[in-house]
Amino acid sequence: MAFVKLNDLEIEVEDGTNVVEAARQHGIEVPHYCYHPGLSRPANCRMCLVEPHEFFPPAGAIVPARQLATGCTTVLRTAPPERKLDGKYDSIVYTDSPRVKKAREDILEFLLVHHPLDCPVCDQAGECDLQDYSYRHGHDKSRYLEVKNVPPKKDLGPDVLLYSTRCVVCTRCIRFAEEVSGTGELGLINRGSHDEIDIPRSHEGVPLQVLDNKLAGNVVDICPVGALISKDFLFKSRPWFMEKADSVCSGCSVGCNITVEYKADGVYRLKPRFHEDINQHWMCDDGRLGYHYVNSDDRLQLPLKRVDDELSPTHWADAIATITEKLSEVEAEDIVVIGSAQGTNEDNYVLQQFAHDVLKTTQLGLFGQSPGEEHKFPQFTIEADKNPNTAGARTILGSANGNVVLEGDALWEKVSNAKVVYLVSGASERTLEDAEKAALESVDFLIVQDVLPSEVTQVADIVLPGTTFAEKDGTFTNSTGWVQRIRKTIDPPGEARIDWEITQQLAKQLGGEMNYHFAGEIALAIAENVPGYADATHQKIGDAGIKLT
Amino acid sequence: MVEEKRILYEHLDVPDINTFDVFRQYDGYKGFEKAIAEYQPEEIAKMVLDSGLKGRGGAGFSTGEKWSFVPRDIEPRYLCCNADESEPGTFSNRYVLEKNPHLLIEGILICCYAMGIETTYVYIRGEFTLGKKMLDAAIKEAYEQGYLGEDIRGTGLNVNIYTHPGAGAYICGEETGLIESLEGKRGQPRNKPPFPAVEGVFRKPTVVQNVETLCNLPFIVSNGVEWYTQMGPTYADTRFDPPKPDANTGTKLYCISGDVNEPGVYELELGLTCTELIEVAGGLRGEEVKAVIPGGSSAPILTHYELDTRLDFTSLTLAKSMLGSGGIIVMNETRNIVDCLLNIMKFYAHESCGQCTPCRWGTPWVRDIVQRIADGNGRQSTITRPKFGIAENGRWGDTGETEEIYEDLDLLESVANNIANVDTMTWNTICVFGIAVSWPAVSYMRKFRPEFEAAIRESKLVTLPVAEATVPPEENYAYQQRFVPKEFADL
Repeated sequence: MAFVKLNDLEIEVEDGTNVVEAARQHGIEVPHYCYHPGLSRPANCRMCLVEPHEFFPPAGAIVPARQLATGCTTVLRTAPPERKLDGKYDSIVYTDSPRVKKAREDILEFLLVHHPLDCPVCDQAGECDLQDYSYRHGHDKSRYLEVKNVPPKKDLGPDVLLYSTRCVVCTRCIRFAEEVSGTGELGLINRGSHDEIDIPRSHEGVPLQVLDNKLAGNVVDICPVGALISKDFLFKSRPWFMEKADSVCSGCSVGCNITVEYKADGVYRLKPRFHEDINQHWMCDDGRLGYHYVNSDDRLQLPLKRVDDELSPTHWADAIATITEKLSEVEAEDIVVIGSAQGTNEDNYVLQQFAHDVLKTTQLGLFGQSPGEEHKFPQFTIEADKNPNTAGARTILGSANGNVVLEGDALWEKVSNAKVVYLVSGASERTLEDAEKAALESVDFLIVQDVLPSEVTQVADIVLPGTTFAEKDGTFTNSTGWVQRIRKTIDPPGEARIDWEITQQLAKQLGGEMNYHFAGEIALAIAENVPGYADATHQKIGDAGIKLT
Repeated sequence: MVEEKRILYEHLDVPDINTFDVFRQYDGYKGFEKAIAEYQPEEIAKMVLDSGLKGRGGAGFSTGEKWSFVPRDIEPRYLCCNADESEPGTFSNRYVLEKNPHLLIEGILICCYAMGIETTYVYIRGEFTLGKKMLDAAIKEAYEQGYLGEDIRGTGLNVNIYTHPGAGAYICGEETGLIESLEGKRGQPRNKPPFPAVEGVFRKPTVVQNVETLCNLPFIVSNGVEWYTQMGPTYADTRFDPPKPDANTGTKLYCISGDVNEPGVYELELGLTCTELIEVAGGLRGEEVKAVIPGGSSAPILTHYELDTRLDFTSLTLAKSMLGSGGIIVMNETRNIVDCLLNIMKFYAHESCGQCTPCRWGTPWVRDIVQRIADGNGRQSTITRPKFGIAENGRWGDTGETEEIYEDLDLLESVANNIANVDTMTWNTICVFGIAVSWPAVSYMRKFRPEFEAAIRESKLVTLPVAEATVPPEENYAYQQRFVPKEFADL
């Protein structure tokens, strides 16, 4: 640990921490543009200038260093005893001296000379470092009278637009494409004040390569100003109008930490949230843009019942009554209950409890999205398993005595011999293979709980409208054993209900003794009954998640 | 009358000196042969340190000291010869490359021997097509003659030289920008530290030397340290107790251009004054000297009051200017300083690499301000504002006097100082390009302020007589600090 004097604070930081991070840990802001903790440090924005002090032998005193240093590249380390300042400090750094403040002001002035100041129409306004730092550290008026550069707006790829006029050439996006995605589509063209970010183009300006790797959306997040803009979010909402909730991406089994930004009428965007062991600062575009089904107009809003070979809307009471009637008619061994790898641990726990305690069946299955492709990047992996909770669902469904969790061909063979099947899906756009479809069609009475009409709901006898990750609380267990929380953001559409509530309703109708009120309560039951999940209560999981041992 | 003292350029005019045979006739490679025969590598490094040789590229950093920073335990180490001579007003390396390339090879060999280096890159300015052709031919000859390649002259020394042409960027003359460019990247300077001596080409320890510096090595080795230190003044740095010698030894290739009768490269001992130098170059063309740029276009200008400044590293630093690359531009009374500054600022605005914020957007801004003044649009010329101070009633307030301020001049100075502060000698930029911009901008404006004011007042370029255009010495910010340091011998 290095003992550092930071302004008037005496702090201890780990060796190798830079000044920006050390200051951030102690609530001091060192403004910066080009520095990003997940990328290399070119120190080109010159915004994070700080004033280190050093021992100057001729004067025999500790004096401010002649040159200001960039905070991002000034690394704090334990000094050998003879080089301690004042006999005890490993470093003395000031982030608020008059020189530093003056330098910040000057750099901000330079950053703004060519900036169009089009905040009223800029998507970044409200979460823009240029705005924030100008407000806190900048001049109140411009001295620039000359003509501003107006570089063109560019379409870099399927989801990314570049408003070059707003660019501060911090090169975060270029470094991201080189270091994290390893695809290197971006670069600088021209020189000096005509620097522009661009993709490779022919002499006629035809793109030779576009920014369409699966991590491209991250460049929008790391852009400190409004230069890189997501087409998906363009002109949709002002950032300050959106509510935010910490959640976990449901796109694959990596379990990237995300922030869901939403308003009453739907989810607006997903942004990655830092987690050191899972996704660092990033998330993939599949996950980022994969939220649209939540807002879809096709969402199931009412229970559907097959009448005259056609699914028609009905009300909950009728649907529940029909199901309980059917379930009480058949023997336990003719029932198959299939849980979902898209559902939370809580959904699956209630489901297995329903199967085991109420229906007295041990025949459970696991259903989910069909596997996709794995994508590996230098610092990021997108997994092939497109379900967020395969590991958790598998463990929890099989947690009760004698439960068997069937998957794949064994499951479909079982299904084809069953009379009643209760299938919780939640996997939007899941296509069925012929064998799977045949198995489901052969079932006498197929109950499907899903969020969108799909091939699965087409063959159902009754469809119950469930909820997506954005509409419920709960936990997901990722492929590496991290249990993390998702949070309810928006209300489910129409009369759709939270999945475990539907299951519990059915259980109650059939005489089961289940009375959970909220997801956290189920998590407590999980902690008590599922091996390995002893610490997985919502309280202990918190925002950081816990790793199963 | 001062005579030229030709050492590096002694045989420059010999026909066919660029060929190995002729070069040998004129004692070529004798320095190198002496080095490998008589000295250990450490002894050569010691000699260079003792000779007080300062890097001729611009910064004037002691070569021997630079060599001492190179860690000897990391392999490989590289030598990178900076032949990207692109400072306006400088053209001395070009003659070496075009006329006497074997001298450079000899210098490289000595440096490689002293530092245990096997690979040398010569980064040549892209425009020097002839220079590169001649050097390539000389390298080929040296390989054939066994002075390059494996096991040179049976000593077990291996040296390979690769030439690499630049693509025309001024900033690639900055050592780390050069290294980036050499590595095939965008020519943008690196953050320092680490310095190239520790982490240079391909992240390995690298000695970066100017062509002229390397060309000095054979003569130091052949003639000895004592002979070398006799040339040029050695000052006493009295900040230290006891005073430390501050050597400005050897000769310098001064490139004299502008309003002199015989412009060209002159090899002279360090420590001559501006007046003497103009005399050497055939005297002034015109009536009187208005200004002298002492070290390439980025050096602060000297007024006619400062012509007694000695043109060496220490004296010019004390005069708040620099010897830089030794590109001396003389201006007579017909020159308009605003116009000169505009010319220089256009160059720097164009050549800024755009990596860091202050330089990327500050240099064009400075250029635009100067352009506006030169165009006669110096923003409504002057404004008058109340002067605050102790007023008649004895309290702080408007004194009733008015003072004229030239807003654009204040702006020019402020913007230039925000890129790099001339007074404190600090820069907010990554490399010293920042100060290369603000130095001329601020020094021209401060030292020739009447001419700038006149341009704004009269909405056009006005060339004032020399005496009127120059601020008097007592108002000259640099003149105040200027003094001729004591010679070490005097103490």
